[in-house]
Amino acid sequence: MSTNGGVVLALEDVRTSYGSIEALKGISLEVREGEIVTLLGSNGAGKSTTLRSINGLVRPRSGRIVFRGKEITNAPAHEIVRDGIAQSPEGRKLFPRMTVLENLEMGAFQRSDRGGMAEDMERVFTLFPRLAERKNQKAGTLSGGEQQMCAIGRALMARPKLLMLDEPSMGLAPIFVERIFETIVEVNQQGTPILLVEQNALMALDVANRGYVLETGKIALADDAARLRENEDVRKAYLGET
Amino acid sequence: MATHAETDTRIRLRRSPTSYLTTAAATILLGLLVAWLVVNLVKSPSYFFTISFIGLTNGAVYALVALGYTLVYGILELINFAHGDVFMLGGMFSATMIISVFNLSAHPSTGPMIAAIVVSLAVAMAACGVINATIERVAYRPLRGAPRLAPLITAIGMSFILQDVAIAWKGPSYIAVPQILPTGRVFTIGGTHYKWDKFIVVVITVPVLIALMWLVQKTRQGKAMRATAQDRDAAAMMGINVDRTISFTFLIAGALAGAAGLLYALYFGQVRYDTGFQLGLIAFTAAVLGGIGNLPGAVLGALCIGFIQAFNEGLRWHSPGSDWTQSIVFSILILILVFRPEGLLGERTPEGA
Ligand SMILES: Nc1ncnc2c1ncn2[C@@H]1O[C@H](COP(=O)(O)OP(=O)(O)OP(=O)(O)O)[C@@H](O)[C@H]1O
Ligand SMILES: [Mg+2]
Repeated sequence: MSTNGGVVLALEDVRTSYGSIEALKGISLEVREGEIVTLLGSNGAGKSTTLRSINGLVRPRSGRIVFRGKEITNAPAHEIVRDGIAQSPEGRKLFPRMTVLENLEMGAFQRSDRGGMAEDMERVFTLFPRLAERKNQKAGTLSGGEQQMCAIGRALMARPKLLMLDEPSMGLAPIFVERIFETIVEVNQQGTPILLVEQNALMALDVANRGYVLETGKIALADDAARLRENEDVRKAYLGET
Repeated sequence: MATHAETDTRIRLRRSPTSYLTTAAATILLGLLVAWLVVNLVKSPSYFFTISFIGLTNGAVYALVALGYTLVYGILELINFAHGDVFMLGGMFSATMIISVFNLSAHPSTGPMIAAIVVSLAVAMAACGVINATIERVAYRPLRGAPRLAPLITAIGMSFILQDVAIAWKGPSYIAVPQILPTGRVFTIGGTHYKWDKFIVVVITVPVLIALMWLVQKTRQGKAMRATAQDRDAAAMMGINVDRTISFTFLIAGALAGAAGLLYALYFGQVRYDTGFQLGLIAFTAAVLGGIGNLPGAVLGALCIGFIQAFNEGLRWHSPGSDWTQSIVFSILILILVFRPEGLLGERTPEGA
């Protein structure tokens, strides 16, 4: 069934609960080699929970998660990161008392190739010159938009085999939103598959190959991005059309 | 952006007219304190120096214990009430090594003395490190997701358990540790000899502190500790093994308590099951005074308390005396917390932690 390369990440009927609240009611999805896949859905649909289930911060009740042929359903978070999944999480989660530079270095914590790290640091600073200006400032004192850039930069510093971004355009001025989306495409063209959660459905569907629409913990729609853009329900619900 | 504006107004509010009054009051108090110290110094310099050396020595022991509270609090926001008792066990291990393993009595020759100190230090640090890490594993880790109160209660429980273990092992009365430290002088100032028994406490404490700073600031493990302390989930997302990092932190904290236990046993010459309770309380106060979670703060707080205690109990001209030590220490703590809740060196961080 896969036409564009092998499956990098597969979720099979994943259910995740917080206490007695079932946030994911059986999610199945795939990210394939070279793809950008976007996850859409209204507030509370379970998008962030899906990402947290993948990178081990919450444990699924049942179901399977397979990353590059290896089951990671119950692996501890730090091992999943070492396997190659990095995330720019919801709420940024920077280290507030470390500088921008130290935060970016933390992104590369599990790497040891100094040359490659220096290269990636340059790349992050080229993408976000603002971060270069602020590199010795404590991350906790950055503005919201600057923090977002720092969180994305930190995820890139891991040089991941799968990059997950949770609402990367949140809190950013339009010019930076565009830059973020350009970055996403660029990183993807360099060979990194991306799982993208976005409120900005229009832009997300623009750059994505495929998309899933989540509704209260279930996948309501799964299709090519182009076709999702044409879908009546999607246009009504997420593209602000009536 | 909004948070910036809020922080700014809050800082500006703190500089309201009352702050001039506080500054004035603080200045006057400090002035009186300095005057009192100067008069004491002038009246009897040799006495003043004797007391200062005592303050420094006590402060060093407090610092090693205070660092353990602050390390653990920094990473888990948990007050490890059992920490003082781990220190007490360190004293007991040291006493056992000196008395039963090395068979030393008072004033041994230099060779056996150095061997006993080095080996006891290693044993106490290793044993207390392992005990502290084990406490975390069995009593705190299973409660990681529970409400804050739960691990606090188990911490108090662990404190009692360790004391009972000590009673079962050594009985309820003081164990006397032979005076094995040399009492020759290192140098003389103002007619007072600074003696080797006090100097050795500093000789052991300073390198331990430097090693700790290096570990936390410069090593990969230290980076993992700082990251875990600031955001546990984010640390995991960086590939840090959070559980192992927390274990390691308890190991280090325990090792510091073990070193303090040895120094206490050597310098004060006696240990009992409740030694850790009293000293633990002082060390915890020192950690809060300096800014809990802040390592240099713990050392500063410990030295402050060491000196306050020594001056108050030892100086002859108008000192309140030992009955007042606790009241004075805690009054200072209350004043500091009222006017500077983050402690002497604690950071006023934007996220309010
Ligand atoms: N820690 C938690 N404890 C309890 N319930 C939670 C927790 N985190 C999320 N939930 C619930 O799980 C559901 C899914 O939340 P999730 O954060 O995954 O939504 P989302 O799709 O990312 O929403 P948004 O667009 O607002 O970020 C919500 O109903 C939410 O209230
Ligand atoms: Mg979300």
